[in-house]
Amino acid sequence: MKRRKESRGEVFSRRALIMGAGQLALTGVLVGRLQYLQLAQADKYATLAEDNRVNYEPLAVSRGRIVDRFGVELASNDQNFMISMIPEQVEDIERVLKHLQSILAFSDQYRAETRKLITKAPKFLPFTIADNVSWDAFAKVNLNLPFLPGVQAFVGEKRSYGLAEQAAHVVGYVGSSRNREGRAQSTYFKGRAGLELAFEDNLKGEAGNRRVEVNALGRIVRELERRDGNPGDDLRLAIDAEIQKTAAAALGDNSGSIVVMDAQSGDIYALASTPGFDPNLMSVGIDERSWNALLQDDHKPLMNKALSGQYAPGSTFKMIVALAALEAGVVSREHELECTGAYRFGGQDFHCWEKDGHGVVGFNESIARSCDVFFYDLALKTGIDAISAMARRFGFGRKTGVEVPGEKMGVMPDRDWKRANYAVGWQPGETVITGIGQGYILTTPIQLAAMTAALANGTHLPNPRTIMGADSAERQELGLNPQHVALVQSGMIDVVNDRRGTAVRSRINVDGMKMAGKTGTVQVRRITKEEREAGIIKNEDLPWTLRDHALFVGYAPLDNPRFVIATVVEHGGGGSSVAAPLSSRVMKTALARKLAIEAQLATQAEQS
Amino acid sequence: MSFYSARTTSWQDRLLAVNWLVIGLFLAIGLVGVVAQYSVAGESFAPWAWRHVLRLVVAVGVMILIANLSLRTVYRSAYVVYAVLALALVAVEVAGSINMGAQRWLDLGVVKFQPSELMRIGIVLALARYYQGVEASHVSRLRHIIVPLLIICIPAFLVFRQPDLGTAILLVVIGFSILFLAGVSVRYFMLAGIGLAASFPIVWTRLQNYQQNRILTFFEPERDPLGAGYHIIQSKIGIGSGGLMGKGLGDGTQSRLNFLPEKHTDFIFTIFAEETGFVGSLILIGLFVALLISLFFVARELKTHFGRLLVAGFGVSLFLYFFVNLAMVMGLAPVVGVPLPFVSYGGTSLLTFSIAMGLILCVDRQASLDLGR
Repeated sequence: MKRRKESRGEVFSRRALIMGAGQLALTGVLVGRLQYLQLAQADKYATLAEDNRVNYEPLAVSRGRIVDRFGVELASNDQNFMISMIPEQVEDIERVLKHLQSILAFSDQYRAETRKLITKAPKFLPFTIADNVSWDAFAKVNLNLPFLPGVQAFVGEKRSYGLAEQAAHVVGYVGSSRNREGRAQSTYFKGRAGLELAFEDNLKGEAGNRRVEVNALGRIVRELERRDGNPGDDLRLAIDAEIQKTAAAALGDNSGSIVVMDAQSGDIYALASTPGFDPNLMSVGIDERSWNALLQDDHKPLMNKALSGQYAPGSTFKMIVALAALEAGVVSREHELECTGAYRFGGQDFHCWEKDGHGVVGFNESIARSCDVFFYDLALKTGIDAISAMARRFGFGRKTGVEVPGEKMGVMPDRDWKRANYAVGWQPGETVITGIGQGYILTTPIQLAAMTAALANGTHLPNPRTIMGADSAERQELGLNPQHVALVQSGMIDVVNDRRGTAVRSRINVDGMKMAGKTGTVQVRRITKEEREAGIIKNEDLPWTLRDHALFVGYAPLDNPRFVIATVVEHGGGGSSVAAPLSSRVMKTALARKLAIEAQLATQAEQS
Repeated sequence: MSFYSARTTSWQDRLLAVNWLVIGLFLAIGLVGVVAQYSVAGESFAPWAWRHVLRLVVAVGVMILIANLSLRTVYRSAYVVYAVLALALVAVEVAGSINMGAQRWLDLGVVKFQPSELMRIGIVLALARYYQGVEASHVSRLRHIIVPLLIICIPAFLVFRQPDLGTAILLVVIGFSILFLAGVSVRYFMLAGIGLAASFPIVWTRLQNYQQNRILTFFEPERDPLGAGYHIIQSKIGIGSGGLMGKGLGDGTQSRLNFLPEKHTDFIFTIFAEETGFVGSLILIGLFVALLISLFFVARELKTHFGRLLVAGFGVSLFLYFFVNLAMVMGLAPVVGVPLPFVSYGGTSLLTFSIAMGLILCVDRQASLDLGR
């Protein structure tokens, strides 16, 4: 059957009708959907729209304080007069900012910055425009509030650090509530460094919230529900604020660090690093210029040198070499050697700091007078792997695990390490210089403190801790021969107390408060043969960055040691001339504190 | 051959000759836009409503101007317009590859325009021009299938590369509608349907991440209530809470509390539906339906195949935008960034539609004119 040929017009009309019908049907679907949304489900959506008018608002809680072992406040909260704005309630943000500028007198640049930050911030949450406002300005803003829709003036909190820059590195600091990420509404601050950062979860507490009804303009009409939060927990440190202050003051303008630690428990009484910075500025927002100045300072004020500074230990490493040699049995306790001022090995002269030599020395004298030649020879006899193994027992080459963030692990080289990191294997000459704590070896001051504590108590390596009553990790027993320990200790005692000891000028001449220790002077440059012949350039004549590091480690009292100290003064000069006197001063304060507290406890015991 | 036909008639006659029913319906819908723009700005003519009024006036001017073009001129320049726009798309592609990223605008110094937007007109013009010369009995021959397919696919592919998947799909659908109206055998459409279904998995993997997300979110808005699904959820709440009579102009809480994004452009219907309710929404839909029906009657009266396909093609284009936008804001289609014709704020879309409407009026004014083959 043949169909009649249709004209184009007829085909078009038929198909246009079909298509029109299809469009009508689709429009019918739209109407059906509209009916479903607006009639059938109208109540449900009306409720949902109502819910859109109910906001959750966070309620800030106080951050926990940080106190020292006796309750002295290291970080606390002060009143902070703050001005903020809810962007979506402000019609003309520029006008309002200008009005606020006329009261608060901030710079045009600050206004422009704020304007930019506001555009990125959520529109329905308060944005902090200024904090730490003076009472006068705060009162003025309050008076002007009727002309500043959307602006809020309220009393918040600011973080206050009692010891300021003296404990800045260990306590840390919080970020300003103005910083973009720190603008979390649930807390005023966020820990950014030090223990403020490490214990953020304990300190910040749990924010509360409330459900509020807002009117069509977003203003709060009434509170529907309120759940108060829990303020943050206080954090009690092992730090003693007095010792901390003394340590920081002793370092003064130097670039360096002092760690004072309990010789038995590892409690850290002081963890000072200089130069410091004022953490109080951080919590209210430091300006960019000051911040850049901190970043660019060659004394690195932001760095916690007690944990992050890595230095060759120099002569403070000699005790480890001695113990390694004695345990390996390569020499006896009576071993002696003649120091002529230099040690020849592999066609090369290794010099002693005493140009004319120490003469015949044994273990005691070589530690007390810090003879280099004795330890060059001893290191060669012992071998690098045995020395390295002993150093690891004292915690070298790994983190001590102290709670303050930023700790470095240092380097304790041995044959395997050299093979893994360098193309050539271990050279015997490298063993020689490791004998006096130079070469690849790197340690942190806190490692040195832990080492000294282990040498002082003779039995175990304590786990350094800044938190009072922190559960100590398992005791790390040393398993050393007590006679070996006693021999090394006698050397350390003579360093400070013998007439010819390198730190004799720093001795504490009070019975029951005597100190033992070891000096270290770490070369940071190579001394050429020509220079040696012409006479070594004095530290004072060198640029700061080429001067020697001055080190001292010590413990006191001699019987039943309580305190250990590790001091590093970067480019400070000599261990005996610079580091030892500083350490002695701090140690005296610590010992006096101990006496005073024992006396106080005794009185209390009598009275009760 | 003069550029304007009927030079001898007075301007009053020429004005009267245009189809004022179509213009009236256009203006009625545009007025809804003005009301919505006014309300969404917090009952203020600034910043959108007064500009929208201005654009409507310009749009009517453009329509009447184009309506007075000679149909022969339009017919003869159809391919040229198409070719120029295709070249512009290539230019955008080149500029885009230089600028490393999506580029949809072509900056001519004086005006910036989106060739992909105008291509909606170009494709309709070229296809209508092509079928004007094809016999009814030859329409389904392979040769007459391939050329129209090329006319559709070249610009669609270029737009897809921009990448603007939404507009590319709309171009293809508009093109296929004209093929259907021209009488191409239904078997081809079934074949195309099967092919499309089969190629879906391949296309899916080639989509941009945000495009995949939009489609996934469409099927399950709660997947991402504070991200991509947020718009759909908030829009549904806005429309639904309007109820039968709406909350009253200027009283839409959804819009006032800023829960909706792009409330004055793509989501303008949400505001209107929230404030005027089911009744107001039906009136707006009714206006669109009336306009489409009037276009249908215009097309039926036309002598030339070119004119019929032109009017029908623009009608389909108008319907598609209307449908996709409404379906989108009601949660029936993915968020594809299609404006509601004449109502959404935005100059390019309004200008494109006014050109199309002008061409419709032009064809209608010269309904009895025969172009020959």
